[in-house]
Amino acid sequence: MNGLVTSRLLTPQRALLLGLGLAVLSFVGPGQQAHAQEDPPQSIAGRVFNQTLEDGERIREPVADVVILVETETGEAISEAVTDVDGSYVVPVPEPGTFVVRIDETSLPEGVEVADDQKEGETVIVGANQRENRTFFLGDSSRDTKGKWELLPQTLANGLKLAMIIAITSLGLSLIFGTTGLSNFAHGEMVTFGALVAYFLNREIGWHLIPAAIVAVAVSALVGIGLETGLWRRLRNSKTSLTSMMIVSIGAALAARYLFLFFYGGTQEAYGQYTLQPDAVDIGPIALAPRSLWVMSLSALMIVGVALFLLRARFGKAIRAVSDNPDLASSSGIDTDRVILIVWALGGALAGLGGVFYGLEFNVKWDMGFTLLLLMFAAITLGGLGNPFGALVGSLVVGIFVELWTWVVPNANDLKTVGALIALIVILLVRPNGLLGSRERIG
Amino acid sequence: MNWSLIVWNALYTGINAAAAGYCLVASGLNVHVGYTGLLNFGQAGFAAVGAYAFAIPVATYGWEWYWALPLVFVASILFALLLGLPTLRLRADYLAIVTIAAAEIVRFFLNSVRFTWLTGGSDGRNQFTGFFQDLNPLENNARYKLGAQSIDGYRLFMLFVGWGLVALIALLVWALMRSPWGRVLKSIREDEDAARALGKNVLMFKMQSLILGGLIGSLGGLILSSQQQSAQSGQFATTLTFFCFTIIVLGGLGRVKGPIVGTIIFFFLIQLIDNTLEQATRRDKIPEWLVDQNNYGQIKFVVAGLALAALVVFRPQGIFGDRREQVFDVR
Repeated sequence: MNGLVTSRLLTPQRALLLGLGLAVLSFVGPGQQAHAQEDPPQSIAGRVFNQTLEDGERIREPVADVVILVETETGEAISEAVTDVDGSYVVPVPEPGTFVVRIDETSLPEGVEVADDQKEGETVIVGANQRENRTFFLGDSSRDTKGKWELLPQTLANGLKLAMIIAITSLGLSLIFGTTGLSNFAHGEMVTFGALVAYFLNREIGWHLIPAAIVAVAVSALVGIGLETGLWRRLRNSKTSLTSMMIVSIGAALAARYLFLFFYGGTQEAYGQYTLQPDAVDIGPIALAPRSLWVMSLSALMIVGVALFLLRARFGKAIRAVSDNPDLASSSGIDTDRVILIVWALGGALAGLGGVFYGLEFNVKWDMGFTLLLLMFAAITLGGLGNPFGALVGSLVVGIFVELWTWVVPNANDLKTVGALIALIVILLVRPNGLLGSRERIG
Repeated sequence: MNWSLIVWNALYTGINAAAAGYCLVASGLNVHVGYTGLLNFGQAGFAAVGAYAFAIPVATYGWEWYWALPLVFVASILFALLLGLPTLRLRADYLAIVTIAAAEIVRFFLNSVRFTWLTGGSDGRNQFTGFFQDLNPLENNARYKLGAQSIDGYRLFMLFVGWGLVALIALLVWALMRSPWGRVLKSIREDEDAARALGKNVLMFKMQSLILGGLIGSLGGLILSSQQQSAQSGQFATTLTFFCFTIIVLGGLGRVKGPIVGTIIFFFLIQLIDNTLEQATRRDKIPEWLVDQNNYGQIKFVVAGLALAALVVFRPQGIFGDRREQVFDVR
């Protein structure tokens, strides 16, 4: 178990209860009453490191048995926790609000002290069902308080990371839209599906994450093929309108999302490997975990690969031809059904891979895909409809905007997505075709 | 298995005050989708605006209800204008995306810790229902029998208030849709270009439809929050909109009685499934590896989603709709 991301308080039974609690919160329908006697769903977590400088290199060692105190802003004690061997702690807080987290200095081992900027503790705003992370550094205070402008490069790097994940998932969404005209609202659930398959193989069966991820991507591609042959092709052949098909995808997404909650539960979990990486790689003013660097490079590789495939390969050209004009493509001898089948396979695979990456970076959750779906739609709408390269540009804008928003507006972590959604609406106001789109989207 | 309790409770859920709230939200959506062909997926946003525009002034600032009630209308119209200006020119699928986004923006803000001082954050607001409690001729806390179902006086009163409003709104919608104005809406649904060619300002009519349906949805939100005496952002998630879509498709799009029949049948069936599973899991009638006490509650959402998908494919006209009039073929 990974103490950084998984609360030790969450046994499977409690996790299920928590999931149920979340579901009840999200829908308090007729005849229901919310029962909330489980552990508080929000918490403050983090790690405590002893930080020393040796030969100019920063060395961080986790410190165990440090007492962490959580208080209200007025100094009233709420709760406390003790760090384990990984130096990690989790303090559940009863309700959302503003708290001060600090280290009980009497519990520290001999000869170390809390870094100067963290002596007074850290003020943390915890949203409902959220986990806020605060890491403490002991020893010589080499971690200096950073000014707002010094934080900008890191913010942009985080934005780029999110943008990469949005890009690989929205590529599939954009290709499906381009070739079939369908706005697939179930695409987010395909992302969750990939993440959950990898989670199952990784944490339940015990495979290493890399083979688990490869199988998850393959299974996601198969699901894409299955959906196309079993559902969408039939609907197209029976002349179902695109709007009806869109509503079908919305119903399917709702059903799938709650099936995930049914089977997986409402917890946030991490994969078994690559999650505990305290030693970040420093690139100039930016620090990224090796995991994030891998996620970004592999995503970039995938994007370039798909782009080259679309531009150069015979089949890629066929996909673009079908996107451009299905009737013309069909009469020039292109097998449209086969092209669409491959697009669904590709879209499924990319969504599955994106799900694994998203799970690696932000943990696995039953509704992670739905959160991502709005960002994906924002990206392809911004970039211009059905244009896969527009989707890339849009993803970049959306990813960076989401992170930049929290940089501009402090303490707005629970409003992260809002920035991108507002940007989407504003851009539609001034430039309804998106950045790289044609005029056809206006009705 | 106590079947009489299961069925009574399901029947009650089909007609209780919350169902009336859903019915109002769905009636508003019916004006958008069923009559105008506007694919609004942000109806939950209107409901949230309605609930909070009443709850915040009363609970946070101590306004009287007669000042807060007009604010519900003002806020709802403002939200419709804000939503409509950028989106009404867009094609159906874009409209769907942007309206979902707008409703989620509203919910994120209401849920945000930053605005806890105003909205109560995820706890929401309560103690804004004094108006209804004073108006109630019944004893608010007394228990009343409705068949095998026992409910308190407040909920029973809200049941009548809710369905009374539903009846009024149904009458209003019926009258409006028979008027020349309503016929223009239907013509926009059938063929927007034809309506435009006849010199109708399509954008203006769409906006009016958005405002009307939005107002009805806001009233629904007000009833939803008032009947449980608490306005919470969690009530106004996207599932609310999706449920209302299922309700209006089930009852028949573009039919005055559509939302009413749809609501009663939908909640009766959903609650029947939920109660049966609840009893079965509690009495070990179903093997635990299949469904247990902790996750049976998810099944109703799965059923609702599948029902929406299946209805749209196999019976888009619902129970009472006219297949020739079903709107989903218009883009």
